[in-house]
Amino acid sequence: MKRKGIQQMSWKGIAAFTVLILILPFLLSTSLMITKATFAGIYTIVAVGLGLLMGFAGQISLGQAAFYGVGAYSTAILTATFGLSPWLSLLIAIAAPALIAYILGHTMARLHGYYLAMATLAFGIVIHVLLVEWKGFTKGASGFYGIPKIEFFGFTFTQGISYYYLVWAFALLVIVLSLNIIHSRIGRALRSIHDSEVASSSMGVDTGRYKMQVFIISAMFAGIAGWLFAHMSYSISPGSFGLDGSILFLTMVVLGGSTSVWGAVFGALLITAISSFVQALGSKISFITSDFEHVLYGLILMLVVIFLPQGLFPAIAAKLKPLLEYAGRKKKAGNITAVKGDQRA
Amino acid sequence: MPDLLEVKNVTRKFGGVVANKGVSFSFESGKVIGLIGPNGAGKSTLFNMVSAIFPPTEGEIWFAGKRIDRLPAFKVSPLGIARTFQNLQVFKRMTVLENVMVGLHTSTSSGILSAAFKLPKAKKEEETIYQQAWEEIEFVGLEDVAAVEAGSLPLGKLRLLELARALATKPQLLLLDEIAAGLNHQETAEMSDLIFKVRDRGVSIFVVEHDMDLVMRVSDRIIVLDQGEKIAEGTPNEVQNDPRVIEAYLGNDEEKEEATV
Repeated sequence: MKRKGIQQMSWKGIAAFTVLILILPFLLSTSLMITKATFAGIYTIVAVGLGLLMGFAGQISLGQAAFYGVGAYSTAILTATFGLSPWLSLLIAIAAPALIAYILGHTMARLHGYYLAMATLAFGIVIHVLLVEWKGFTKGASGFYGIPKIEFFGFTFTQGISYYYLVWAFALLVIVLSLNIIHSRIGRALRSIHDSEVASSSMGVDTGRYKMQVFIISAMFAGIAGWLFAHMSYSISPGSFGLDGSILFLTMVVLGGSTSVWGAVFGALLITAISSFVQALGSKISFITSDFEHVLYGLILMLVVIFLPQGLFPAIAAKLKPLLEYAGRKKKAGNITAVKGDQRA
Repeated sequence: MPDLLEVKNVTRKFGGVVANKGVSFSFESGKVIGLIGPNGAGKSTLFNMVSAIFPPTEGEIWFAGKRIDRLPAFKVSPLGIARTFQNLQVFKRMTVLENVMVGLHTSTSSGILSAAFKLPKAKKEEETIYQQAWEEIEFVGLEDVAAVEAGSLPLGKLRLLELARALATKPQLLLLDEIAAGLNHQETAEMSDLIFKVRDRGVSIFVVEHDMDLVMRVSDRIIVLDQGEKIAEGTPNEVQNDPRVIEAYLGNDEEKEEATV
């Protein structure tokens, strides 16, 4: 049912994006580019969760890569060491980060102020140390080898186009679920907290509870992404799950804009594209190393915060909106004038 | 039957400043009670305690047989207390309708997962929220701006929006914090008509107001605070003729110069 006066999910947007995702592999020439596009999907899942947390619960997490790592390592250990099916370990890869987020959130006095940023920062460091040092389980800094592939009724998802579609199926699911949350009573409650916490609590909104729930959801999404990452690669190592990673996710959300789900998606795609471009340059020009990438992200973060605090996506959407409306009006006006002269200005 | 609201010997201190001192009164159902007093008399403090924004330092507040002074604010709304804010706490980046829909938060219960998966319960509740929010929008007469982002409304409409949002929580007791502040004569008159309409719905109303015409017109009974203490209570007529009230407002002879009403 079409309702007036409330934000609603645009199925058109989702349909257009799905079509784009479906045809993208045919436009990419090399298998390296398909791998990059697959990574973009994995990052999108983490970024959408973090975007919900930042844009709707007003909290910052500096430990999102650690949740991503908990998801990846829990499935790696369960499937490779204990022989569990990847589909069963998916549940653990979601539940373990959720449980950690629940405990972290509770100890942080139900997420008041900026304590969560500090707590997740510390948590990220702890996880990184654990992954490196707990060699009995994680095999230490050299990485964990021999992670099995995901199978589905006899079909094996190997790196390449099939894995790309698997990842983006999850990413689209995560996007739709997040849009549903935003356009529900919970989403409105979260948006209201952002504008006036005192008014929303006097409307009966338990602000701490919803901040906590979004934090848990963001950890779950990161866990799903970790699961996808682990089974895509034959091996994983702690380096992918450190503070660098968390800041990369943060940059995606800030760059794209956290006030809409599409902002986080846009940011994840853009950063992946920039990173691929810089790496391609690096293979030709010697001074462009991986450190150069970090400097670049820092610079992007700074520039966006100064010039486009809302992020790129809302800025672009605001520019595009009048154009789309103009096009729509022209079409409509055309239809009406065909029947009868129209008074519309 | 117990009184709807009972404030028992309530004191509130902010550091060394005593904002309310030993205030007691009670409040029966179906009435409009006015709370007046000069600037700094402690009206807002008292209001914030009744709506559980912060607790009293001493004393107790009971609502419909339950003690509420130690509850967090969000637990008071489901019991049946709603309020508006003098300094306008609308959700600026949401539409007028969405603002009112937040008011229906506690009359629905679907959680984050059923929202994410759009389970039938969530969908059904969404429909109910939408319908009931529209009823409140119509009640205060904001239909024409329902789809407008609240931040872009003029003050008069924002006051109506705050009223609609508070009513959406289906309160037994509605606290109106200077609902007429900044309104012109006509808007104030319309607001007092609305207050009567709200009372006729069976809602008890507690009004803090600077606009004396309004408060004298709508209140069944008036409580007067001065320097944190209750100095008078009675019908509008009694209060207007109470020498202590007159002194509080106009000051004694030496202070007359700087008196404000």
